[in-house]
Amino acid sequence: MFMIRPLILGWLFAMAFAAGASAQDLGRADLVARLCGNAAATGDAGSRILAGAGQPDAAELPWMETVISALLDRRLKCAADPAQSVVEGDGAVRSAVTLEPASVPDLSKVPVLNLRSRAILELAQSALRLRIGATPTIRRQALAALGRKAASVPVEVFEQAAAGESDAGLKAEIESTAQISALNSPDISKRISAVERLASTPNRRVQTQIAALQADPAYTSDETFRLTVDAALARVGQGILIGDVLSTLYNGLSFASILFMAAIGLSVIFGLMGVINLAQGELIMIGAYVTWLTQEALKSIAPGIADYYLLIAVVPAFLVTAGIGVLLEAAILRHLYKRPLMSLLATWAISLFLINLVRVTFGTQNLQFLTPFYITGGVPVVGDFIVTWNRLFAIAFAAITLALTWLVVNRTGLGLNIRAVTQNRDMAGCIGIPTRKIDMMAFGLGSGLAGLAGLSLSPIYNVNPQMGGNFIIDSFMVVVLGGVGTIGGTLVAALGVGQINVLIEPLWGAVAAKVIVLFLIIAFLQWRPEGLFTAKGRRR
Amino acid sequence: MKTLFADRSFAALIALCAVAAIVIALSGGTSMLSPYMVNAIGQLATFAILAVSLDLIWGYLGILSLGHGLFFAIGGYVAAMHLLKHSYEITGIVPDFMQFMGWQEFPLYWAGLSNAPYALLLALGVTAFVAFVFGYVSFRSKVGGVYFAIISQALVYVAMLLMFRNDTGFGGNNGMTGFSLVFGWPAGQPGTLVGMAVVSIIVLIAVLIGCRLLVTSRTGRMMVAARDDEVRLRSLGYGTLWLKLAIWCLSAVIAAIAGILYVPQVGIINPRVLSPELSLEIAVWVAVGGRGYLTGAVIGALAVNALKFWLSAAAPEVWPFILSGLVVLIVLVFPNGLLDLAGLKWKPRLLASLGGAK
Amino acid sequence: MTRFSRRSFLKSTAGAAAAAGLTNLAAPALITSARAAGTVKLGCLFSSSGTMANIEGRLNHVVRMAADEINAAGGVNGSTIEVVTSDPASDWPLYAQIGRQMLQQEKVSALFGCWTSVSRKSVLPVVEQADGLLFYPLHFEGDENSKNVVYVNSPPASSVLPAVDYLMSDEGVTAKRFFMLGSDYVWPRTINKQLKGYFTSKGIPETAWKEEYVPLGFSNFQTLVNQIRAFADEPGGQPVVILTTVGSSIPDFFREFINQGIKATDVPVLGLDVVEADLEGLDTAPLVGHLNCWAYLQKAAGPANEKFLKDWAGYVDAKKVPFKADVVIDPMVSAYDSVHLWALAANKAGSFEVPQVRSAFDGITFDCPSGYKLKMTAENNYVYRGVFIGSVNEAQGFDILWQSEDTPKPIPFSQY
Repeated sequence: MFMIRPLILGWLFAMAFAAGASAQDLGRADLVARLCGNAAATGDAGSRILAGAGQPDAAELPWMETVISALLDRRLKCAADPAQSVVEGDGAVRSAVTLEPASVPDLSKVPVLNLRSRAILELAQSALRLRIGATPTIRRQALAALGRKAASVPVEVFEQAAAGESDAGLKAEIESTAQISALNSPDISKRISAVERLASTPNRRVQTQIAALQADPAYTSDETFRLTVDAALARVGQGILIGDVLSTLYNGLSFASILFMAAIGLSVIFGLMGVINLAQGELIMIGAYVTWLTQEALKSIAPGIADYYLLIAVVPAFLVTAGIGVLLEAAILRHLYKRPLMSLLATWAISLFLINLVRVTFGTQNLQFLTPFYITGGVPVVGDFIVTWNRLFAIAFAAITLALTWLVVNRTGLGLNIRAVTQNRDMAGCIGIPTRKIDMMAFGLGSGLAGLAGLSLSPIYNVNPQMGGNFIIDSFMVVVLGGVGTIGGTLVAALGVGQINVLIEPLWGAVAAKVIVLFLIIAFLQWRPEGLFTAKGRRR
Repeated sequence: MKTLFADRSFAALIALCAVAAIVIALSGGTSMLSPYMVNAIGQLATFAILAVSLDLIWGYLGILSLGHGLFFAIGGYVAAMHLLKHSYEITGIVPDFMQFMGWQEFPLYWAGLSNAPYALLLALGVTAFVAFVFGYVSFRSKVGGVYFAIISQALVYVAMLLMFRNDTGFGGNNGMTGFSLVFGWPAGQPGTLVGMAVVSIIVLIAVLIGCRLLVTSRTGRMMVAARDDEVRLRSLGYGTLWLKLAIWCLSAVIAAIAGILYVPQVGIINPRVLSPELSLEIAVWVAVGGRGYLTGAVIGALAVNALKFWLSAAAPEVWPFILSGLVVLIVLVFPNGLLDLAGLKWKPRLLASLGGAK
Repeated sequence: MTRFSRRSFLKSTAGAAAAAGLTNLAAPALITSARAAGTVKLGCLFSSSGTMANIEGRLNHVVRMAADEINAAGGVNGSTIEVVTSDPASDWPLYAQIGRQMLQQEKVSALFGCWTSVSRKSVLPVVEQADGLLFYPLHFEGDENSKNVVYVNSPPASSVLPAVDYLMSDEGVTAKRFFMLGSDYVWPRTINKQLKGYFTSKGIPETAWKEEYVPLGFSNFQTLVNQIRAFADEPGGQPVVILTTVGSSIPDFFREFINQGIKATDVPVLGLDVVEADLEGLDTAPLVGHLNCWAYLQKAAGPANEKFLKDWAGYVDAKKVPFKADVVIDPMVSAYDSVHLWALAANKAGSFEVPQVRSAFDGITFDCPSGYKLKMTAENNYVYRGVFIGSVNEAQGFDILWQSEDTPKPIPFSQY
């Protein structure tokens, strides 16, 4: 992605050769002074170190790695005299030149890196770690970072690293990556293997790199080279296509899981009582706040497991929102079952109340959540398709919720009663089902599911008092489309709406997607006014 | 005339409105009555018209629309387009949205809008058309009750999203503002404000009388019958589709008229009038004032808005709590709104209705 | 405008109330506090509820703090300042409504408020009709020059363009291609329009930029970040993202950006509306290096800033303000500057009347916490102020990467 232009590339190599001759003479103090200097000097020092990382002699490399990492992590404190500059870290303060214990000088500053220096320094850091990283894992990570910009890394770095590598698998990987550096080498066979190596990881960046070769003189003069490039382009194009299709499906699935989580609680409540709970979004918001409170509690009680707050909070998030739901049902909605439109207004008032209650208690700012390792980043799969962990978490969470809800509704006594009341309230009452109690329990269940939705959405959305409003209309559409009170309907509708949204969005934008989905739903209701799946039995 | 003023509270309301109009016309803008107050009263009158329009279908036909802001907005937007186009032709000031979109000419659908009668016709025509299409597809497939409420809310929501877009040519998020002329008079001057306020109140009176005539007529009895038991009415051989559709469109047109009157007085329109919250608030006005009584809708609109004007400045923190508490109270204890409270409509029915009147 | 003595005013409102039967509107609390001798009222139009509350709400407190400071030093023209706050609830017409109420009923001498251009545009006709004075503390799109608005923050020509210049320079990243992503309203649209004109004047071809808009409050950036990655991988040189989304769309965007593994060294983001508060809920380690540009950054050097930071922390502590004591953002400082600029002008004019105050703006200067000396001229109601380019650091703040040498002349109307 970072396309260092040939000009810079040339300059970099020139620096490498210049530095190569004098690397040993280059005093540590001089290098520190440069790292502490202005932007140009820092960048200059970075490219010297990058070149130095290709030296056979590894004696200076650990020092370089220490200083450069300190600089990137803002642990390098610069003094006017480089000899007095220090490196902080691991609870110790050490001289940046000798790495002997030292004290922080009076007048010191932490250099601010500009983007150019940062890019070079990060590259140099990876190169150094590839050479001297303590474990194969560190070296493998470094190689991955270098691989993305392999063309701007001196080939000597790879050669030396491969020569010194003890892990056979990693050694092969290094050699394979090194081939990319040879993309512009004079040796045509090396170029061909570089192209082939590149094409093995198809994505748009590679496509751009290879497509540029079509303008290369060798493309017209050398038959084999031309065929290789064309074949590589075809292969890359195919990989990108597969990646794009997968990516669209994944995005659709991820959006569908969000819709499903937001809608499932609503669906249970609506199906049972014909009550549209406009406060559902606020229950989602409260679920997210409970998740946050759990995290804060864990941080102070058991910091060791604080990272797992997302899993631990499942129980409190469900219980608190379910409790609120039961309370609301008993205090207000119970009196309004025969007047569904009035219950609509009442739940709106409740939502207004809850938003403002939370606002007054916690303030309006976004809550800060830890981002545990299991929802950070993602892994590239094929083409430009990246599976991001936070979305995968939401998808998995939705799947588990789906399974559990299905079990509760279809395999428990409570579920049996809920289904009975949903299908025919009067008859259910006649055969002795306590309909009032079932209503309360079901309202609690629906609210609790909203709480879980809040939990699963907290890594994806901002959590603040107003967040509930984002979901309400979308989730209603899902419920209306899916048909009242059927889990399967909600699922299918969520998947459909999610996928359609994702398909339309790149073409006409997010707004058009919403508009089209709404009109599709209205049109669909002409055909099936009761939604996709209808609960068997008489509607009230 | 007898049936029209048989209800004393209704007669009193009409009289009050008439007095207000006369007082404003005579002393508005002078030291007796500040332009600010005149303007506030004028705006309140448009809200009252809006509330009456919703009450007509919710109170008398049992159809709750949570998307009435859409029709209000259509009226408002067309009025704003007329004002901008007219101001542009007189003063040559190019509207803001065209400046930042880099447009040299008005989009095609702005053509002819500087002509006031055409603009009025367009506003009412578009409103009636949208209402007809949406009403037809909904009522035909018997979408009603909560379903209808939610879909109408979704409709106003996507309309808001659409209007937020700048490339639609309606001013996007900024909406339209900076009208220098209001139907030929300079904007913001006391005289103009007085004129607009008086017109608004007169329209309110006309709408009230018209609706009153309607609901006390034979059609009105059909409406109430459809509200109370539509299935039975249909079994008796009365078609309800066209009745509902006609009243629905009429209600939408009244809402659009409110919008037309509202925009020149407030001086701005933007997609916020399409937010689902505003449409919900209209229902709150009606519920607070008393659903199914034209007087109630007016009183509700005035009371809630007056309370909002006052509290959002005096005690902004507590306003949402008061509003939500008020709604819950109304819904649970006073199903007929303030009319219950004021004893205007106090009947033993109140206690019975606690159990579950429709 | 018609003016009232208190007595005739009460009579008129009572009359109106009787006429319209509006018992509740009869005596809004706003006008119950009579204008006691020796006080002068300033009005605040900042939302403490609604979508903008998260960042906008803190400005109410800053204005109060500045007023307290001035009162402690003896007030203005012998009068003490009384700050009247309100809550327009992020609802644009309500800004106009309350603005009118403040000017006409409350008789405030100046208004301080609005956060987005939309809210300013809705208040604009009100202040123009009433010949009031509105201090607008946000940076904005320019192309507006009303005698009734004091544009305390920078127009794009003196803030955005220097930042883009920096990105295009060799010291920056030699940016060649631009992905402009914004919320769909006037500020991003105008900024991008001006940027496109600027790019054209620099000979950058139209194929080298891309423009996308999302609705306000948009949160699902998955598809758009995919598009950015695809754009970045195309040939043609270093890509950058110029981000003009606002509100909650900023952290949502960054979150997706991190998860798709894009680093600042791959595709830097210049977030024109990004402030510390937007990063509050984020782990900023993967965001280090992204840029913003404002007329004030919290790390600005100098005694004025040290004092301001200390005062704010003390104020938050003393008044139990529900915002962070250690986060100070540009609009807060601009709001603080606004009150002081008004007080300076009113003192100089020896009057609180708007025309006198306005003509006193010429030549007043104020030592802003940013370290620059603010200056106003008779030419317009714009303020000369410095520019900073900040770089995101691990601590959810910004390091100063670059700052202007002095205060560039503000240019209201962009030439692009």
